Amino acid sequence: MSEYTLIGKRMPRVDSRAKVMGKAKFTADLKLPGLLVGKVKRSPYAHARILSIDTSKAASLPGVKSIVTGDDTEGIKWGVFGYTRDQQFIQTEKVRYIGDEVAGVAAVDEETALKALDLIQVEYEELPAVYEPMEAMASETELIHKDFPNNVNVHVNIDTGNVDENFEKAYYVREDTYTAPEESYFQAEPYVVVANFDHEDCLEVWCPNGGPHMKSKPLSNAFKIPLHKVKIKKISIGGAFGGRSEICPADYICALLAKKTKKPVRIQFTREENTIGTRQGHAMITTHKTGVDREGRVLARETTCYMDGGAYSSTGPIATSVPFLSMEQVYRMESVRYNGYRIYTNKPIRGMIRTHGRGFASGLDTQLDMIADHLGIDPIEIRLRNVRKPGEYTSTKSLVGSCAMDETIHTAVEKSGWKEKFGKLPPFHGIGIGTNSVQTGFPMGIRGGSQSFIKFNEDGEAFVMSGVVDNGQGNDNMLVQIAAEELGLLPEDIHLVSADTETTSSDPGSYSQVSTFVGGQAVQIAAKKCRKKLFDVAAKILKVEPETLNAENRMIFVKDTPEKSVSIKKAVRISLLNFTSVNAEGGYWPKVDMKREWVKNPYGQMCEAFSFGTTIVEVKVDPETGQVEVLNATACQDVGKALNPLVLEGQFEGSVAMGGQGGMLTEYHDWKDGRCLNTTMLDYKLPLACDMPDIRCSIVESIEPKGPYGAKEAGMSIAMSAAQAYAGAVCNAIGVYMDSFPLTPDKIIAAIKKKQSRLEK
Amino acid sequence: MEKIKIILDINDMPEEVEISSNDTLLEVLRDQLDLTGSKESCGEGACGSCTIHMDGKPVRSCLTLALEAEGAKIKTVEGLADGDQLTDLQQSFIDHGAVQCGFCTSGMLMSADALLKDNPKPDKTQIKKALAGNICRCTGYTKIIKAVAHAGNPREDCPDCQHDNKQKE
Repeated sequence: MSEYTLIGKRMPRVDSRAKVMGKAKFTADLKLPGLLVGKVKRSPYAHARILSIDTSKAASLPGVKSIVTGDDTEGIKWGVFGYTRDQQFIQTEKVRYIGDEVAGVAAVDEETALKALDLIQVEYEELPAVYEPMEAMASETELIHKDFPNNVNVHVNIDTGNVDENFEKAYYVREDTYTAPEESYFQAEPYVVVANFDHEDCLEVWCPNGGPHMKSKPLSNAFKIPLHKVKIKKISIGGAFGGRSEICPADYICALLAKKTKKPVRIQFTREENTIGTRQGHAMITTHKTGVDREGRVLARETTCYMDGGAYSSTGPIATSVPFLSMEQVYRMESVRYNGYRIYTNKPIRGMIRTHGRGFASGLDTQLDMIADHLGIDPIEIRLRNVRKPGEYTSTKSLVGSCAMDETIHTAVEKSGWKEKFGKLPPFHGIGIGTNSVQTGFPMGIRGGSQSFIKFNEDGEAFVMSGVVDNGQGNDNMLVQIAAEELGLLPEDIHLVSADTETTSSDPGSYSQVSTFVGGQAVQIAAKKCRKKLFDVAAKILKVEPETLNAENRMIFVKDTPEKSVSIKKAVRISLLNFTSVNAEGGYWPKVDMKREWVKNPYGQMCEAFSFGTTIVEVKVDPETGQVEVLNATACQDVGKALNPLVLEGQFEGSVAMGGQGGMLTEYHDWKDGRCLNTTMLDYKLPLACDMPDIRCSIVESIEPKGPYGAKEAGMSIAMSAAQAYAGAVCNAIGVYMDSFPLTPDKIIAAIKKKQSRLEK
Repeated sequence: MEKIKIILDINDMPEEVEISSNDTLLEVLRDQLDLTGSKESCGEGACGSCTIHMDGKPVRSCLTLALEAEGAKIKTVEGLADGDQLTDLQQSFIDHGAVQCGFCTSGMLMSADALLKDNPKPDKTQIKKALAGNICRCTGYTKIIKAVAHAGNPREDCPDCQHDNKQKE
């Protein structure tokens, strides 16, 4: 029997009833009295100097309530780090991509707001633009940001030493370059923000966000108002996938319009704006040079990656590091050198995305398959010889605690029938494997920890306060599940107050895969303290020692004699009669190396836990059309502990869809002179129900000692390893190692034809 | 633009609305009638988040003019449950974890509900085809397909259907 009543159980989510009834409110559903419609005027040029902005015609249009330009701002620039503050919320000097913000309008309705946008006259002087990282680095025309020579935004250099010596010692060395263009989030909910200044001049904001506290601070900076004056409110969120963590210029523009008009304002993005005006995934050109010994063990690796960062820094230093970190976590390397360059181009801004580094990772695994092929080693065997073991240090000196990487490979191999299939499938059938590892948290300084408060009502039910946000992945349910487990209550007795900057303490947000590990753990600690208070009261009532008690189903009872019991409600009431309230706080701060810094010092403990995942995919390729039919996928991840397998499987399945099916087969952006050509759901090919294979989910539990109940990151190791597995399976099916991702039909047909003509010669 | 007064039959209630001839049904539902369960995700008929029923057929309300809906029986996600009593399909979505962010859920439910009315025991291929016009970015569709297949048809071997039975006991 499980030691838990709710943890580890397939618990349906607490938020789903409101969602299936159409009652859950998302930002665009909000109606406030006097709500105005806001719109953003965007640059039509990829790179241009702003000579003048004339808003007079627009301002005289009946129904227009306010127009704001850069002159109305405090001139504050946004950047995730002190050294990356390069983005104004409304541009004053020049625009750097098609879509850059130049003005905002608030009007009585959408039609009037759109008319007003057309009437704002902006005079530009066009500047030469650069659209590709290599072109941008070599360019001798005006830099995109004047303090960044060669348009290099971020350079991350990691070198463990002995790389060149180990290449000398290697039995076999190969160097390959892999490319992948940009991809996008396509969250179901297009970006939208509602802003209002209340009767105490506090700014209230509703918007999809990856962390309310990550929105409130930049807004308080931008308006030069204290933090308590910015209230980010909780609202249902229609997906994030890494794309909603940062402040969005529209948040500020909307708030500025609200301030000027003294009315609530809503800015709702079109689907096109959501694609170009939020964030995208980075395009990457990655060269892996790998040297192995005769048995295929990696002695030396040198990886150089050029990332197309778009017009501004965004999460640049993090984005430049994460693909490397995932590689160094999953694979042991005796020595490694990494040079990651994030390059400014005149394209939309790139941030973190669930599939960040798909070309980097898929290239690495493709190369590993090539090395195995050359040495006559099975692809599974070469991975088992190189993958991470528990208790080891990564190349950048992070101790890896729990790690069941091996077991995920063995499990996936067994469940997928790899041994019966690899090398034995009919022509144009293929099978491929991917392995990956993801961080449970980033070093985030003062934003790294989370704190929770729990208070009991006299009816025996409890409020749980937490800064954790739910973007759709089920964080609200996770918090309720943990609190109910610890307090001995039913989920319906727990009332969540979360993701609101006025009532909850700082929290890292649903960013860096850390919500359960940090935010969930804070709730667990607070709940344990409340439980102790309740047990002290109950022990006196029952005349036993508190240590002999347990709580379940709203009752506190003696473990050995469960009939000796008192209800939690009664314990709370008696406590109150004894002048003691039942409440508690709990906080959790991960013990990371605070001296570790993405660029200046990329060494030290990165986070407290790492997840490890393996995906195996079987495909059938039509050689005439290049179409890939995915027959099945097996997803297996070491999640530490599955708090809720029902929710977890949903993360695995969604990861296979986004990382593999979309990420490796159909999803990419097309461009012409800095203009994105496929911004909508008709043009950008997202996976549909009819595209999806059967997915087998296998959960491996290594029980992470530092995580709540042993839990750590859950799901993202599947997103990345799925991309790798899809790539491997297609390459296996067509007998060609591909180096340009995603693997679209045109590339597949070209590869098959090239191979055939080579064979004919 | 000139406003026209029409009466729409929505979730078995007559609703008088004043519309412009270019107002979509989705705009009227959301902005005038506060039926915000139907969502706008793409606004061009690609994603299915705004799916409603018009005379029992699933229709994209973002591509339907409100004028076209006059005289038809309209049902939205808010009209699925009977008061607090959910339909088997809604309950199945909850029990099978078919809801993540929930933004596509209304449209999914309306497409699936129409399918189940036509074909109470659809196979997986039929379900996938019926849902091919509804985009979900969170779930990978697996649990949605299962929720539709098991709605009103609980399976012995499904741990999540058993949960459903337990709740009913």
